[in-house]
Amino acid sequence: MLKNYLKIAIAVLRRRKFFTFISLFGISLTLTVLMVLAAFIEKVTNPVYPGDKNSRSLYIKRLTYTSKKGWINSGGSSFYFLTHYAGSLKTPVKMAIVSRSTSSNAYVNNKKIVIDIKYTNADLWNIANYQFIEGKPFTPDQINKADRVAVISERTRKEYFGDAVTVVGKYIEADNISYRVTGVIKNVPEIEEVFYANMFLPYTVAKSDYRNKDFWGDYSAILLSPSEQLVTKMRTEYEQMVTRIPIPDDMKKDFDTLHSDADTYFETFTRGFFGNADNAGYARFLFFMSLFILLFMLLPTVNLVNVNITRIMERSSEIGVRKAFGASSKTLVYQFITENIILTILGGIIGLILTVIILQVINGSGLIPDFDLSINPLVLLYSLLACLFFGLLSGVYPAWRMSRLDVVTALKAQ
Amino acid sequence: MIKHLFKLIWNKKKQNFLLITEIFISFLVIFGVFTSLVYYYRNYKKPMGLTYNNVWVINFQNNKQFHNTDSVTQYYATLTAMLKNMPQIKTLSYASSNIPFTSSTSTTRLIYKGQEIRPINFYRVGDNYREAFNMNLLEGRWFNHDDVVSSNRPVVINASLKESLFGNGRALGQLIDDSHDDKHVRKIKVIGVVQDVKDKGDYLPSGMAMYNRVDTSDMRYIGKLVIKVSPDADAAFESKLYKAVAGYMKEASVEIEHFSKKRESTNRSTLIPIIIFSIVAAFLIINVSLGIFGVLWYNINRRRGEIGLRRAVGASGGSVSGQLISESLILTTFSLIIGVFFAIQFPLLNVFNMAASTYVMAMFLAVAFIYLLVFLCSLYPGRQAAAIYPAVALHEE
Amino acid sequence: MIRLQNIEKVYRTDTIETLALNSISLDIAKGEFLSIMGPSGCGKSTLLNIMGLLDTPSKGDIKISDQKTDHLSDKQLAQFRNQKLGFIFQSYHLINDLQVLDNVELPLLYRNTTAKERKMLATEALEKVGLSNRIKHFPTQLSGGQRQRVAIARAIVGRPEIILADEPTGNLDSAMGNEIMEILINLNRNEGTTIVMVTHDENMAHKTHRLVRLFDGSQVQ
Repeated sequence: MLKNYLKIAIAVLRRRKFFTFISLFGISLTLTVLMVLAAFIEKVTNPVYPGDKNSRSLYIKRLTYTSKKGWINSGGSSFYFLTHYAGSLKTPVKMAIVSRSTSSNAYVNNKKIVIDIKYTNADLWNIANYQFIEGKPFTPDQINKADRVAVISERTRKEYFGDAVTVVGKYIEADNISYRVTGVIKNVPEIEEVFYANMFLPYTVAKSDYRNKDFWGDYSAILLSPSEQLVTKMRTEYEQMVTRIPIPDDMKKDFDTLHSDADTYFETFTRGFFGNADNAGYARFLFFMSLFILLFMLLPTVNLVNVNITRIMERSSEIGVRKAFGASSKTLVYQFITENIILTILGGIIGLILTVIILQVINGSGLIPDFDLSINPLVLLYSLLACLFFGLLSGVYPAWRMSRLDVVTALKAQ
Repeated sequence: MIKHLFKLIWNKKKQNFLLITEIFISFLVIFGVFTSLVYYYRNYKKPMGLTYNNVWVINFQNNKQFHNTDSVTQYYATLTAMLKNMPQIKTLSYASSNIPFTSSTSTTRLIYKGQEIRPINFYRVGDNYREAFNMNLLEGRWFNHDDVVSSNRPVVINASLKESLFGNGRALGQLIDDSHDDKHVRKIKVIGVVQDVKDKGDYLPSGMAMYNRVDTSDMRYIGKLVIKVSPDADAAFESKLYKAVAGYMKEASVEIEHFSKKRESTNRSTLIPIIIFSIVAAFLIINVSLGIFGVLWYNINRRRGEIGLRRAVGASGGSVSGQLISESLILTTFSLIIGVFFAIQFPLLNVFNMAASTYVMAMFLAVAFIYLLVFLCSLYPGRQAAAIYPAVALHEE
Repeated sequence: MIRLQNIEKVYRTDTIETLALNSISLDIAKGEFLSIMGPSGCGKSTLLNIMGLLDTPSKGDIKISDQKTDHLSDKQLAQFRNQKLGFIFQSYHLINDLQVLDNVELPLLYRNTTAKERKMLATEALEKVGLSNRIKHFPTQLSGGQRQRVAIARAIVGRPEIILADEPTGNLDSAMGNEIMEILINLNRNEGTTIVMVTHDENMAHKTHRLVRLFDGSQVQ
């Protein structure tokens, strides 16, 4: 039976080339937009480079004070705060503490280079798998001695040293201070805020004093749990500890609660856009995302339903004949839905090809530096689901209309 | 004839329902696109209000610990004197972080004659800030050194804020309560009015603005130094300048940016989303127009008998194709009535805080666009219908 | 009223030429009720289409009301049909999405008439065919005979001088067919309308003034 359906479907699609074209055009481009979007979200929320241990990590970024009067004041955390409180947790096996990156200039042969500098402790090199093109990270020992050593990115190496083959041991000047290069890493896209910099320096050489006991500061922490299962335990442990942190005296006047959250990488994004100090915004993100996708798909779906109904009406005599010779409404519905799903899958394949092309163009254009979009299996799976959903959505109503066609009028129509 | 067509469409409302829905949704999409395009275009047509060429900013995040206000003042006075000695620097001014073409904003509100006016962009800038950006002073004067001793807090406002506060009335010399001053002793005094400045880029509005003089107590938190350089200031000079500043501010990380570059990247970040949005909308519209075209074309085939009959009873080919085009346009009118009903809610409920005229203009454009689109989609099917041979069509069944 | 002279109609495809009508000459007087008979495919419908100016002959002249028609533009033809001719078809060709009254008004829409006039004339026409109680119905709610009566009302609403009927009783049983025939005969007798009817039915044909038989595109009687 299925083979029969397939045969008819292909025959129908070939007979009405214009309608097939309209359907395929709509389906493939709709799915292309969704797949490109999915690739973006996937890339932004789950960086494989250098955050390959994301599933075992939690991120502490913002420190927020709130008061019952509705005041909110939010900032980064200080090095002191993170080492003193997050550092006292039992579960994490490692904790990286990194500053947010600040831009600085260097001038080489009267050409300006913008260098984004990040200060870090040694655990960053253990948690993130930066790919070293040459050299190696600076050591805990060098950090303790406040050595002026630097790990730089491939881009900065090219801009500062030109096409020099090896730069380890050479000096690079930024902010008017010379640092000795210990290693060069592959570029990280800027969107990966925690991991991105062109120049990594030991926190001990930072211009702001890391011993400052203010809670607010420039730093974020990455906590690494021993296993994925223990991430939840780590989070709970941190939550419980935060409730016990005393509010500093100078803040007590205006604020009564201190918030600091250990979020997954994904949540650091959803909290920024959709959440607040109390809410990671994950649910709201899902809600808005689904709403957007639904709204976006609404028009192509209505269009496809419309075209489908037209296709059915055009075939009313075929349907009449089938019914006259004993096809039940149910089989006809199945037949039509099968046809439609074949059409969507075909559209999906075209969409996939288009997506690959568009992603190549985006990657090649350098619109977002170091941003390497790709279609991974998860995106592919989502797309396949979207295809089936789309096919069913646009096929069910026309099929229902088709099954209700009156045999006599259907036969008369042609 | 129109009434006849209305009847025909109304009696076929079940069949036409999907088409009406589709055109209705398309209208909303197009309305959205046009609203943003009209909004950006109207902003774009307004004058910039400042000159950004040869204006640079030195960003610094100073970690230096100062013991008292005097030492802060002294520290920055030395820096100012050092920079003023450089012949390439024409003028300079310290500023709060919301300098032009950055995402940083700082807003406040004013209560004047019992009415709350917000949001007002709040700038702290120096005496030479206007000169550095060549801002256009419409009335009164900019700050100067004498303002230190004034009893009321002197501010310069922009034309938009003047409009909201005083309408066509006099602005200069007016006193307003200062919402930052709890004791209500010191008032805000308007000493000048400047032309609006589009400081979020070419495509975004200036909004209301209030410029305040940087005072000595603010200097501890200041992180921007705006400089106007002479046209011959090149990269070599910039490098020298950088060394001098970074050498002086040892506890700070220092960065120099050019406002011309900052403007480009600000404009880009405004335009990229709208370009992506427009591309997606264009795709949706192509998709829809193909669909409408297909459905209309098919309908012609289905109505061959009726068309043949109309020809037989005296309709010319032209009037048949005219009829079919009118039918689609009437159908469109149904959708647009529903669409406009929804669209009109935006200016009525003042969603997104945009001028009502922007919405109205976008609505007209969207209505015209949809009519044109449907007209084009039905042109070919209409011609096909006109070409139907009545003798053949009437004998097919 | 209608004068056909040496009408020839040739259908050409890439390979075959078919002679549908071969040198037909026919004179139909004002007030005449003429029927055309012949087997399927003999060209009778083609002849009727040519008389109705829906089709053009390959050769020959047609004069209707002493007026030559071959030089008329599409628009003029349309006007001519609208003013002078009324059509009735075997399969009625009513517009299912319009109510009976609106269907009957159709020819008047292509003239300068007011809505009031149209309604009046259409109601009058429906009265003549005995359907004044069905004006708000849709064609699908009517029987075949009723539908054909609506079609007749539509054909006469514009007071044409000529009515061309293509097997008007072909889809109906004999009782209903007789009813329709009765209406046409009365129309011819009382109003003096010239009627040309194509039919398969000998009984019906014999009720008319004159019978023309076609065979393979030629007039045989």
